[in-house]
Amino acid sequence: MKGKRNILRFSLNWRIQHFLLMVSVFLLIISGIALRFSDSWFGKFLIFLEGGFEARGALHRLSAFLLIFTALYHLIYIIFTKEGRKEFKSFLFEKDDFSNYFKTILYNFGKIEEKPKIKRYGFKEKLQYWVFFLFVFLMIITGIVMWWHNYFLVLIPKWLFDLVYGIHGWGGTLILIFIVFWHIYEIHLTPSNFPINLSFWDGYVSEEWLKEEHFLEYEEMKKGEE
Amino acid sequence: MKKLLTLIFIFNLYSQDIVTKNRRCFLCHGKEDYKIIEDGIERPLFVSPSEYYQSVHKDMLCTQCHYDVITIPHLRKPKKIHCLQCHYAGNVVGAPVKEMPEKYKESVHGRAKEKGKIAPDCIDCHTTHSIRHPGDSLSTINKKNIPNTCGKCHKLVKEEYIKSIHGKALLKGVLETAVCNDCHKEHDILPPEDPRSTLNPKNVIRTCEKCHADITIMKKYGIPVKQVEAFKESFHGIALEYGVVKAANCVSCHGYHDILPSTDPKSPIHPKNLAATCGKCHPGASQNVAKGKYHIIPEEKEAGIVYYVYNFFKWFTFLVIFGLIVHIILDLTGRGIRKFKK
Repeated sequence: MKGKRNILRFSLNWRIQHFLLMVSVFLLIISGIALRFSDSWFGKFLIFLEGGFEARGALHRLSAFLLIFTALYHLIYIIFTKEGRKEFKSFLFEKDDFSNYFKTILYNFGKIEEKPKIKRYGFKEKLQYWVFFLFVFLMIITGIVMWWHNYFLVLIPKWLFDLVYGIHGWGGTLILIFIVFWHIYEIHLTPSNFPINLSFWDGYVSEEWLKEEHFLEYEEMKKGEE
Repeated sequence: MKKLLTLIFIFNLYSQDIVTKNRRCFLCHGKEDYKIIEDGIERPLFVSPSEYYQSVHKDMLCTQCHYDVITIPHLRKPKKIHCLQCHYAGNVVGAPVKEMPEKYKESVHGRAKEKGKIAPDCIDCHTTHSIRHPGDSLSTINKKNIPNTCGKCHKLVKEEYIKSIHGKALLKGVLETAVCNDCHKEHDILPPEDPRSTLNPKNVIRTCEKCHADITIMKKYGIPVKQVEAFKESFHGIALEYGVVKAANCVSCHGYHDILPSTDPKSPIHPKNLAATCGKCHPGASQNVAKGKYHIIPEEKEAGIVYYVYNFFKWFTFLVIFGLIVHIILDLTGRGIRKFKK
């Protein structure tokens, strides 16, 4: 990131939530993918690292508990705090997001000269947020069915249970691919962030970066300063 | 003097053919009611010549095994003999030796015998004077006759077995069916607790799959062949593979000696009995467990709705990867073009 990082973009509360999500999802992925690839050397190695098959399951459930806690924390945050409500509102899709998406493509092809002006959260961040929101919800629901399978085997038919098992596995694979690709490019490799955008950790970005990537947020901030 | 007599006796023996020489023994032992009373117990001493001459030992002299009989009639009771006096590695008489006797020593029967318990030795299964090749349909160890041979002692198990699908098939003459030794082995029968046992929870799948994953056998009788593969991919299968033996294996649900097809109302996997069967491990399992298919492979159409959902996810995942890569390339191209223009 070019320039001195002196603008606080993410509050401590926000960063704590990202941190909890990062830790729980990382643990969930390594313990989940171990089961999914349990017949290959990769899965065997992961299961060995996690202390055996049953310890793998325990780790998965423990980190699931952390994820559920984080999800509830986030819900309370976006409902009951002023900051949370404001952040949540800026995540709602608007007409501009769609036009900005097409404008960005045209801009990249060199068809338009001016870079689309992006708010605090552009279509990229909004898509990432809502995909995650939906998948965390899906994974928690299907995960709970499997966690208390003895209870749910009474309530739901076998075919639905098979479906839940399949959705959880594929959902996990999809979310893994999505966040890995996303983070590797958007946070690390993209020239404007390379090697890493550290704002997830201390919340600071540089003025130059904010002006380039989120012009409307920059403008609003300047207005506030005046 | 004794040595001389022995030499004469042996010389005498070798100058005649087997049947003629053995005839001297059968003079007494060939009579059906030939017996002695020993310690107040009647002991039959009859050996059927016709049985003997159809056995694998037909070209042998009686005295080759009963080596201490040097004069006929013998005056003393001959010593108890054992198969291992010839069937050992390096024997000079040319008795075939396999690893069986060694395996037997470690088996449940061998160990029980060693402790002095009543347990079968070679002759209890192979018989004594009428040992036939296993391929011979009259052999006690011919596949068809094995349940009867084991059933001599294991009576209740035999009763259960002959009512099972495997037993019924055997009675119909289906020789691909499983008999006792197909699962239990024969000389090296080990208790299920032994990790090497074919019946150990970790090994059950490999015991059943010998036939149930064999497409040529299963196709012949219209039995689905993919169950084993599907089981291995299921959570139970994976857990077992990693040594979690509390996970269900084949016999946990299907039973073992009394295995019956799901169409039979007495089968534990009959839809009406499934709730009770699953309930053994998953307390309270309801009739809902019968609503769906078992041993499904999600990649195959037979899996129903699961197949479509898997396919949707598969293609959706590819689409997401493709989309992300396209947008990354797009972004990089844009940056490249702009830099170039500057």
